[in-house]
Amino acid sequence: MSQSSRSRFVLDVRQSLPGWKQSLFLAASLVVGLAISVAILWAAGIDPIELAGELAGVFNGDSLRGVLVQAAPLMLVGLAASLAFRIGFWNLGLEGQMVFGGIFAGGVSIYEIGPPETRIFLMAVAAAIGGAMWCLVAGLLKIRFRVNEIIATLLLNYVAVYFLFDLLYGAWQDAKTAFPQSTPFQPFERLHDLGDGVNAGLLVAIIVILAAGWLIHFSRVGFYMRFVNANPNMAKVLGVPVRAVTLWTVVISGACAGLAGFVNVASQEGRLTESYADGYVFSGVLIAFLSRNDPIIVAVVGFLIAVLFITGQTLQVFYQIPFTMVQLIEAIIVMSVASSEFFIRHRIRWIR
Amino acid sequence: MTAALALKGIRKSFDGVVVLDDAEFSGNSGEVHALLGENGAGKSSLMNVAAGLYAPEAGGIFVDGKPVSLSGPSEARSNGIGMVHQHFKLVLPFTVAENILLANQRSHYRSGIKDIRAAIERQSADLGFHIDPDRRVNTLTVAEQQQVEIVKVLVGGAKILILDEPTAVLTDAESERLLETVRRLARTGTAVVLITHKLNEVKRYADSVTIMRRGKTVATLDPSTATAAELTQLTVGETQPLPARAQKASVGTRLNIGALTCMRADGSPAVRDASFFVRAGEIYGIAGVSGNGQAELGEALIGAREPDSGEIWVENLGDVAHGPGSSPRIAAVASIPADRYAFALAGGLSIADNFAVAAIRSRRYGSLGRLDRTAMARDTAAAVADYDVQGVRSTRQKAALLSGGNAQKLVIAREFSRSPSVVVAHSPSRGLDARACLAVHQRLLSARDRGAAVVLISEDLDEVLGLSDRIGVMTRGRIVAEFERPADRQAIGRAMVDHA
Repeated sequence: MSQSSRSRFVLDVRQSLPGWKQSLFLAASLVVGLAISVAILWAAGIDPIELAGELAGVFNGDSLRGVLVQAAPLMLVGLAASLAFRIGFWNLGLEGQMVFGGIFAGGVSIYEIGPPETRIFLMAVAAAIGGAMWCLVAGLLKIRFRVNEIIATLLLNYVAVYFLFDLLYGAWQDAKTAFPQSTPFQPFERLHDLGDGVNAGLLVAIIVILAAGWLIHFSRVGFYMRFVNANPNMAKVLGVPVRAVTLWTVVISGACAGLAGFVNVASQEGRLTESYADGYVFSGVLIAFLSRNDPIIVAVVGFLIAVLFITGQTLQVFYQIPFTMVQLIEAIIVMSVASSEFFIRHRIRWIR
Repeated sequence: MTAALALKGIRKSFDGVVVLDDAEFSGNSGEVHALLGENGAGKSSLMNVAAGLYAPEAGGIFVDGKPVSLSGPSEARSNGIGMVHQHFKLVLPFTVAENILLANQRSHYRSGIKDIRAAIERQSADLGFHIDPDRRVNTLTVAEQQQVEIVKVLVGGAKILILDEPTAVLTDAESERLLETVRRLARTGTAVVLITHKLNEVKRYADSVTIMRRGKTVATLDPSTATAAELTQLTVGETQPLPARAQKASVGTRLNIGALTCMRADGSPAVRDASFFVRAGEIYGIAGVSGNGQAELGEALIGAREPDSGEIWVENLGDVAHGPGSSPRIAAVASIPADRYAFALAGGLSIADNFAVAAIRSRRYGSLGRLDRTAMARDTAAAVADYDVQGVRSTRQKAALLSGGNAQKLVIAREFSRSPSVVVAHSPSRGLDARACLAVHQRLLSARDRGAAVVLISEDLDEVLGLSDRIGVMTRGRIVAEFERPADRQAIGRAMVDHA
């Protein structure tokens, strides 16, 4: 037994940890993540003090308006991820669902479906259906054929994006500019500011977030979702409609992502472009992860990620920092928070 | 002649439950020594002591007459004791040679593997096994994996080979081949200990047999001079007269199981054409050696597994075999599964959630759009008090924090809160202490007295005998015999092993 006498690190599994200590670990890991991010930006030539200035600058005037416009799709896509993750459905097809949300909304605009007064509502509903449909493909593959949804949703992103390209380089291409984008939406087909710089897209996001918060915390559906996630075998024995809950959650998750696509094309872009869904899978997963799949916290985290986005855009313009730097910082924060999970679950002890 | 392995006065308990009490064993080189007993008699525990896995609280271990103290399996190995466990200890993605190297470490990997490969070939040839050292273990059949385990132990230089229920996972032909090999191995000077509950194996292959019951050694004798009846009697113990019980006026059938068949994942039948009926106000016990289809039958009855054919008929409901999770079925059938955290509780969720889930569709706890947490907490608190569930500081606390007995009480509280007409309980007192066990039994008896039809599946023969009005013996997926109360313990014991 010579091994046991050597001094070494020992890893124990913790029985439980009080909530405030968990928050402490989380906060500490966030600080570490941000510190690493600041160090990287510093190495890239941005002085931390200037960085602080840029960050503060985001909270006034036009920049804040930009943050709020950017926050809406991020909140929706984060909500889409968190709802699916709640039942253990790893929806990585948020981009594809956003793409189909945008395509369905764009279709309503291009084919002028419905009277102008209700057009924008029809576009929203169509976008939700488009996203839901695209997510349901992976959901049915999983339930019917046990296809892993991580693979299915991820690969369906490419199918969706190339379908979008086909439209934008073909049938739906703007004849005037000959760029790969659709003809601009009519003014009544766009989400406008509601005064004070708050965009209608944000209103859509907040309404959906509140509805989801009620669904999760106050309805029987949320109760069912907890059991489907915690123990599906047991849930089935005790009469929880596991299949129906899974399918409806998949549908709602896809619908939220579809709405995110709609909000993006109807507020920021004003038309279908090649890139209105680019990079949102990662942001959505990040937001869901940081918010621990709670819809209300999704709203807060979505806002903070929007701040990061807009700051990143500013840095890009004034310091020639590539936008991938923003994704790098997102990744660093994810890894820091993920590591805090490890420290919450385990304890490291030094023996002798 | 000095015994190769002797265990004297061994005592061992877990959390106050004594599993070995003054247990004795003595096995000689050159013979196959069977260790016979029912489930839970302490056979495996005693041999785990010999293999260095359990530290005994009292008693001594002697190898070739010399006392040894074993602080772990590696020390047992260095004393020439090797054990093949019922659940193989193999790393599936590794090759045969790598697995054997892992248990018999060499200082260098490359030369070690070469050395091990030669040793495997030598051992395999001696035993008549055909083992390719470079095959990955997860491509081997169960029988081949078992051969790897045996070779692993022998390459380690074991002079004492302990086999824990080696034939439980094998077909009849494979079992025969293995036991022949084992006997040949003994003839070359190895002391073989064969843990089993099968009488025919003892009669055909063992040179001597030690019988254990309830943690104690009952007898050691020569199986060729004892009759099967004597061995059975020693294994199951004296027949105790059961307390008389008020017989209910015979009423109609409440539950009928007709030709139920359930397949395992590999396509072999676990339950085959099992048929029995249970009257209202009756406890129907299902006895048998574990692994004879009881788990699958229990899962089918609680709705966790859809049977491949046959019917589960419940009075007023009809055949419910293919409608698991339907509201009327859940309302009528109370399920107390063997594995609480697989089919009865979500450990990560609160006690209140776990209590309320079964009645949630009845709108008792609010509509689809609104959850009435106040009502949930109130009912849960009342049930927790009513069923004496200890250790509940708040109904919002996670169910996983409850001890085994209290978790079981919570399950029973929930399942009985609906006044079920049928109760299905599988090993309801497994892992519980005496007090919790008694409470669970009383709940089952009161359900019977209320007029429910109770199915009690248990591998503990005492539990089945003590509670049941009628007993069915399950062997190889069938109900092979039925007994009325007061049932003859010996006859049940015979039915359990005769068909095995």
